[in-house]
Amino acid sequence: MGKIIILNGSPRAPKSNSRRYAEIFVQHCSCENEYFNILKTNHHELCSRLSGFTDLLFVFPLYADGIPVTLLNFLKTLEQNPPRNKPVVSILINCGFLEYRQNDTAVKMIELFCKQNGYRLGSVLKIGSGESILDTPFRLLAVRQIKKLSASITKAKYRVLQTTMPLTPNMFVKASTSYWINYGKKNGITKEQMESMEIES
Amino acid sequence: MAMKLILSDRPFHIPIKNVDSIKFIDLSSLEIANCVGCFGCWTKTPGKCVIRDDAVKIYPDIAKSDTLLYISRLKYGGYDTVMKTMLERAIPVQQAFLRILNGEIHHVQREVVPKKATIIAYGAMDREERDVFEHLVERNAYNMNFESYQVIFSEESQLEETVKNEVKKWEKS
Ligand SMILES: Cc1cc2nc3c(=O)[nH]c(=O)nc-3n(C[C@H](O)[C@H](O)[C@H](O)COP(=O)(O)O)c2cc1C
Repeated sequence: MGKIIILNGSPRAPKSNSRRYAEIFVQHCSCENEYFNILKTNHHELCSRLSGFTDLLFVFPLYADGIPVTLLNFLKTLEQNPPRNKPVVSILINCGFLEYRQNDTAVKMIELFCKQNGYRLGSVLKIGSGESILDTPFRLLAVRQIKKLSASITKAKYRVLQTTMPLTPNMFVKASTSYWINYGKKNGITKEQMESMEIES
Repeated sequence: MAMKLILSDRPFHIPIKNVDSIKFIDLSSLEIANCVGCFGCWTKTPGKCVIRDDAVKIYPDIAKSDTLLYISRLKYGGYDTVMKTMLERAIPVQQAFLRILNGEIHHVQREVVPKKATIIAYGAMDREERDVFEHLVERNAYNMNFESYQVIFSEESQLEETVKNEVKKWEKS
């Protein structure tokens, strides 16, 4: 039976959507696993732990069409401090936009890291509408794919999965507009203020 | 007047003639922390990042410029840390609200001038890495208001020459 280490590469890891996705993964994972947030201060500690695991699952958001700096910097440290036994690397990525395909470039970046550093790429789950899907009835769709991700890693039958809200782009724009208006309201900020065209003035 | 902006992840000695309209910024000499994903720039202080370091001087310049030159080392097919950190910190130039562009979802931009962008990337290991980077810039174009763009791959040893050649083109135009 394998053993999975889950590393969260979101810069807001403790409060991140990635963390919630990882928690769902853990709930449905039948093999031994451990979860860590990637911090600026724990790169070396995490690198030295990796040898004890058959699988590594990176959970992270799409940032500016690529991998977030938090994860990039960890990969660079890992490149310098490779474990003796290299785990298979799987990916659970989520992006804010509706289309899960917008995650593709970031997935390719991890693939490239794997190639350049001699890791096998395992499963990939790409989630679109990842900022909000867990708080809608479509949560079920995400949970279903995370279960499949977990089963695929556990059985070492690696595969590529994806999910998003089944909405048209127009519907998604409307739904997200209310989402962000509410977000602003909690901070005492109106829609009009959020729509300001000004930058730093 | 719209501005021409050069953002670089390392210092250069480039003689720039039109100093009034061309601004050169060496990001590696600045204090720029990474974005923490708080969405303050969208929902608390719209258009302003809550982290008050050097990045807050840079994204207004990005927004104002109509011609951009980014110079960055590549890592895993993307921008290396210095440039990527700045690009992540530039999201105050967008609103939280979304729109449809090219049939896909993207953010509404604040006052961001459409841009002609040139990206000089150095340190690519192979063809595959260059391909990934080209995909990345194609995606960036939609989110960063590039009306046109060009990616130039340079050997690190040729970098200064490559940069000078591009800047010369600007001086002529
Ligand atoms: C700096 C920054 C850049 C982002 N860039 C993108 C992007 O290019 N495409 C996208 O779909 N979502 C983008 N997002 C949205 C996040 O991917 C989304 O909010 C995600 O759910 C965050 O996950 P997390 O809570 O695990 O960090 C960005 C968010 C931030 C803060």
